[in-house]
Amino acid sequence: MVKLFREMKISSRVSAFWLCLMALFAVVGHWIPLPDPREFDIDASAVGPFSPGHILGTDAGGYDLLSNIVNGARTSLLISIVSVGLGGFIGSVLGILAAYRRGRLDYIINTTFNIMLSIPNLVLGLALVAVLANNADPAIPVNPNRRMFVIIVSLTIVIIPILGRIARGATLTWSNREFVVAARSMGMKDLNIVLRHIVPNVLPAIYAVGFLAVGVVIVAEGALSLLGVGIVDGLSWGAMIARVAGEFEYAPQSMYVPVLVLALTVIACNQIGDFLRGRLDVREGKI
Amino acid sequence: MNTLLSIRDLEVGFETPRGLLKAVRGVSLDIPAGQSVGIVGESGSGKTVMSRAAMGLLSGSNLRRSGQVVFDGKELTAMSPREVRDQFGTGMAMIFQDPMTALNPVRRIGSQLAEGPRIRLGMDKKAALKRSAELLSLVRIPDPEAMLRKFPYQLSGGMRQRVMIAIAISCNPELLFADEPTTALDVTVQAQILQLLSELRRDLKMSMVLVTHDLGVVANHTDFVAVMYAGEIVEQAPTAELFANMKMPYTKALLDSIPNIEMKSGARLKVIEGRLPNPVDRPKGCGFVTRCSYAQQKCHDEHPPLVDAGSGHLYRCWYPLGHTIARKP
Repeated sequence: MVKLFREMKISSRVSAFWLCLMALFAVVGHWIPLPDPREFDIDASAVGPFSPGHILGTDAGGYDLLSNIVNGARTSLLISIVSVGLGGFIGSVLGILAAYRRGRLDYIINTTFNIMLSIPNLVLGLALVAVLANNADPAIPVNPNRRMFVIIVSLTIVIIPILGRIARGATLTWSNREFVVAARSMGMKDLNIVLRHIVPNVLPAIYAVGFLAVGVVIVAEGALSLLGVGIVDGLSWGAMIARVAGEFEYAPQSMYVPVLVLALTVIACNQIGDFLRGRLDVREGKI
Repeated sequence: MNTLLSIRDLEVGFETPRGLLKAVRGVSLDIPAGQSVGIVGESGSGKTVMSRAAMGLLSGSNLRRSGQVVFDGKELTAMSPREVRDQFGTGMAMIFQDPMTALNPVRRIGSQLAEGPRIRLGMDKKAALKRSAELLSLVRIPDPEAMLRKFPYQLSGGMRQRVMIAIAISCNPELLFADEPTTALDVTVQAQILQLLSELRRDLKMSMVLVTHDLGVVANHTDFVAVMYAGEIVEQAPTAELFANMKMPYTKALLDSIPNIEMKSGARLKVIEGRLPNPVDRPKGCGFVTRCSYAQQKCHDEHPPLVDAGSGHLYRCWYPLGHTIARKP
């Protein structure tokens, strides 16, 4: 890890640091001595950043922004990592299978991917949450875990075709290479060829796009919150943005702080994804 | 002499939008145990497709293959893909044309080389790596231990081809297909690689099929030669017999197109004018007719059969070299 860090340029180091910080927030956030994210400070509503007691300020309701960011990191990162990991895995398996086998299976999988891609993310998420994790009567509270689960499932469904197509495309180019024929001419089983020869070549592309997808998912989660079908307890970056949408004029920090955090996280993900792609790709060679 | 690989009436075609592309048309060939057989022909004559089809490496929904291939008493063409696969590596192995693309760019030499012994011979990792180092020294790579840890991009073309050879022989195959093993290499390295192959073949008692477009290579490294043109064998004979007693004008033309050291500087190289016949819609008659300087009317009208000239020499020509009929100049 230290060696990897030394190889990084300054931009990648900052990104790595930022992601580590967010991960730290996500894991130990509720032990950090900060104001309760769900209790408002009646004496300090809508104060700007660097106010006493509220480093990043408060929103119009007097809720501490830093505390909300720290505690919201858990949900935001959990949702994005789980759905990208799960969606990336399922998508890659399907994509590699389709491209390696070709024929009817490829046709079916590829058509399914195309159909899934044609459904707008938010409409899909909205529909799933509305049907599976919503009550017609707003007085009856929704089970937060159920809501979280449905959001993760819908974002996973969004990710599957994106990474699946990347995996399929990369596999198509690699599986016709001579070294695959060479492996076959040594009597390798298909499973061995895929695991040993195709996957290592396909992975760099999946990493790069996977990190991009983390950004996409964090934003999508925010958008779902904005539409009113986000996380129930309101502790996520997206939920923060959604909650303060109407108070931008008198407490701008309540909007730009979470947006900035979200944007920085997405940028850091892209930067690290790019670094890993370059680092893991020995084909480029350093002579 | 017993036959290790026997190919009978092998036909290979590919379904294309323009029609069935016949790449190999009825090839029959025997590879005797312990011998080296050369397959010669120009680009597009079907050498590579023939050798891959004989081994059973071709696949795809547009492939049309017929004929019979018998390896070591087992009929490959009647076996399931799984059974054929079990013949690979330990029975048959192949060295590929371009060592730049036939090695996986993202894996170390050691793991690629140890793969065969581990999976096909069931060795554990340590034994397989030890065997890999032995194989590398067998193909004369200095400091094999260090080589195991390198990536393909760190090697020169000749080194990569040596690694490819080491991979191919890693499971002690009885039959080695060498598909233009030196085409992608420098001329200086070509001779070394061919020499290495010949020595390995002798030491490890393998049979070899050497596919090449260079009759000069064949003369030095094979016992028997088959000349392919447009998907057919047009002449086959023991190597010495072929060079002493060429029958087919195409073989002669191939030989004439090799540059000679006694040529005057500035003299033009001899080329074979014209092109291969269209493999989708081939005219009747001899495939070489449009390019042959001895062609007669009969050559345009009728397809020549294989004629036996004795002592294993077969040729496919109506008017072979040395024929008494009056020829066009």
